[in-house]
Amino acid sequence: MKHARSAVLHPLRLLALAAAMLAAGAHADEYADVNQLVRAGKLPEAMAKADQYLSTKPKDPQMRFLKGVIQRDSGKTPDAIVTFTRLTEDYPELPEPYNNLAVLYAGQSQFDKARTALEMAIRTNPSYATAHENLGDVYAKLASQAYNKALQLDNTNTAVAPKLALIRELFSPGAKGQRPAAGLTVPAAPVAAAAPPAPAATVKPAVQAPAPVPAAAPVTPAAATPAAPVATKPITPAPAPATPAPAADAGANQTREAEAAVRAWASAWAAKDVKGYLASYGKEFVPPGSMSRNQWEAERKQRIGSKSNISIKLENFNVAVNGTKATAKFRQDYKASGLAVSSRKTLDLVKTGDRWQIVRESTGN
Amino acid sequence: MLLKPYLLVACLALGALPALAVKKSHEAKHAQTPAPVKAAPQNPDGAAEARLIQIYTLIGKAQNRQALAMATRLVEELPHFQLAQLVYGDLLTAQTRPLKTMGDVPETMARNGAAVLADLREESQRRIKALRERPPAGTVPSQFLALSQRSRHAIAVDASRSRLYLFENSPSGLKLVADYYISVGKAGISKVTEGDQRTPLGVYYITSNLDPKSLKDFYGAGALPINYPNILDMRRGKTGSGIWLHGTPPNQFSRPPQASDGCVVLTNPDLNHIIRTVEVRSTPVVIANQLKWVEPHSTRSEGKSFEDSLHAWRNAKTSGNLSQILSYYTPDFNSNGKTLEQWTPTLKAELSKVQGPTIQLKDVSYLRWTDSADTMVATFGEVADGVRTGWTKRQYWIRQGNQWKIFFEGTI
Repeated sequence: MKHARSAVLHPLRLLALAAAMLAAGAHADEYADVNQLVRAGKLPEAMAKADQYLSTKPKDPQMRFLKGVIQRDSGKTPDAIVTFTRLTEDYPELPEPYNNLAVLYAGQSQFDKARTALEMAIRTNPSYATAHENLGDVYAKLASQAYNKALQLDNTNTAVAPKLALIRELFSPGAKGQRPAAGLTVPAAPVAAAAPPAPAATVKPAVQAPAPVPAAAPVTPAAATPAAPVATKPITPAPAPATPAPAADAGANQTREAEAAVRAWASAWAAKDVKGYLASYGKEFVPPGSMSRNQWEAERKQRIGSKSNISIKLENFNVAVNGTKATAKFRQDYKASGLAVSSRKTLDLVKTGDRWQIVRESTGN
Repeated sequence: MLLKPYLLVACLALGALPALAVKKSHEAKHAQTPAPVKAAPQNPDGAAEARLIQIYTLIGKAQNRQALAMATRLVEELPHFQLAQLVYGDLLTAQTRPLKTMGDVPETMARNGAAVLADLREESQRRIKALRERPPAGTVPSQFLALSQRSRHAIAVDASRSRLYLFENSPSGLKLVADYYISVGKAGISKVTEGDQRTPLGVYYITSNLDPKSLKDFYGAGALPINYPNILDMRRGKTGSGIWLHGTPPNQFSRPPQASDGCVVLTNPDLNHIIRTVEVRSTPVVIANQLKWVEPHSTRSEGKSFEDSLHAWRNAKTSGNLSQILSYYTPDFNSNGKTLEQWTPTLKAELSKVQGPTIQLKDVSYLRWTDSADTMVATFGEVADGVRTGWTKRQYWIRQGNQWKIFFEGTI
């Protein structure tokens, strides 16, 4: 149901942003460059580049969004708030600026404002899972504050602020994946290690938007969707040419193993077995955004641990194995703490020794 | 999502009483003072509770979004309204998971604030109960047998419901115009000794209106002291003093059902309304554990035997026969420290003044207080025919068998 709804919304979103998107394609390199600088921690350089770009295209939402992220990363919260607020004014249909505004407000313990912003994000895009999950955390924090006031407890010792997920890019690079060349250039670099030599060309375009989805939430913003169906197609046939002949049985075995690894990952998640869950991810796994592995693990631990119960169901399972690499695609029904989201998910796995481990996680159709 | 703990409240929605009850008071107020309408105070009396109940009603109808929106506004305006904060917290929590109980606070908080949480739940229940179980229309508390037009207002407190009822006394009788949640003593009711943290039960009068500027913040918007210990209390050797109707401190919009050192505590907007409305000295305050609501005409027949005694006493006084008059007084009569023997000269002096003309009793009020004894607090103007003014008297009567006798008499 949620998907039907978002399917209606996407064209609207896209329509509203058509101009920007067209421009985006042409300037993908600039976005990518700025992103690279951010990831490398070169914030002043990233800012300079963003400002330079904006001096010629002051309205460009994608670059303004990146600028907001840079300002936030540089600790210039008030500036970042201004940037994202203006974006919500100019592009009220976009949920991401609202989401990030909420993250900033929450960082300042202004949870009422964070709540309002997230409710706006959800109003513009009801299936926006990151905002839902963030909002759940904000509700919990506000409830805890209200309870403290109700019981007149000293709440200084319960002042643990919820960690909300920041969106780092407005449009997924995957959207540009329609143009294979661009798709290749974008976030490929850090992930390259994970990509197998031969099928790389086919898998790459499917590298839809892992980066912009730091939440590692059950679902990602709709932005990832449009390109995906087209781009992912080649994946399925991929294993065929790659697997020569040797043993069909062996191939089936590998498929079963990979599938078992994915199912183990899901049950560890559902059981809130954070250790088991994190162990499902290989060393090569690149955390979303510019988070370090440690930061990402801490965030996952906090998020999974904070849910009272989690239910994960995997459906329409499809695993393609190619040597020591595998791609698992499935529909994931995630339920936790009143939040229920159904989404498509793709996991890339690599076999190290006798273990299949996740090296890439992406969401979308 | 179903909010089971609040389902109980759903019946309230069907009754739809609370909104009406509060509205009534305001209509009455407007009818009374049509002329200059002052800008409405930000939180007029009763409004906060009405809003809380509206939130409950929405929850009962499973309209949680609207309930949350209302609760958000309520706590924004009254952040120190703890019960509202609790409900607001619950509504937020319900957005992320089903509620297990009313006031579904995290475990550590429930442990650290166990007593407060229990108090808030009790406050919630009492507010709901008082609004769900309304006094039958047109009835009055059984204590108000007769109330003259000298008392423009009357107050009755039902401790079991944590409720204060405010009446307007018009020539057509007592009319309930508003009622408010109140707190009583930490140790409950039936005050006996100083420091027992109990609220006295009995028939009292408001004695003064204390300037809030002279009070500590703790007492809030002001204070209306009552005459505890009254004559009956003193006769019974009860001690203590300083029983007031007062407001709440700045950090607490309302206080738990049992919270004070014996005073009756109202929220500041509610107390303000009472202070603006009632008159000092002539406003009776009946405090009972549980009020009994009766038809006004039944009080007239109940009061008949007493009224007969009162008139017989007046006739004896008109006749000037001292021994006949003295038969209406108990042997242990006491008037401000004087025994009956010591007081008799006062009686004689009065008789010599009014000798001849018939004595008229004007503006007669009598309030009945029945516990282990059956007593009557009578107030009236005693005026001889042909004389313009007399004095206002208060008598305490006690029923001995089927005879009513006076055990206190004094002028006020």
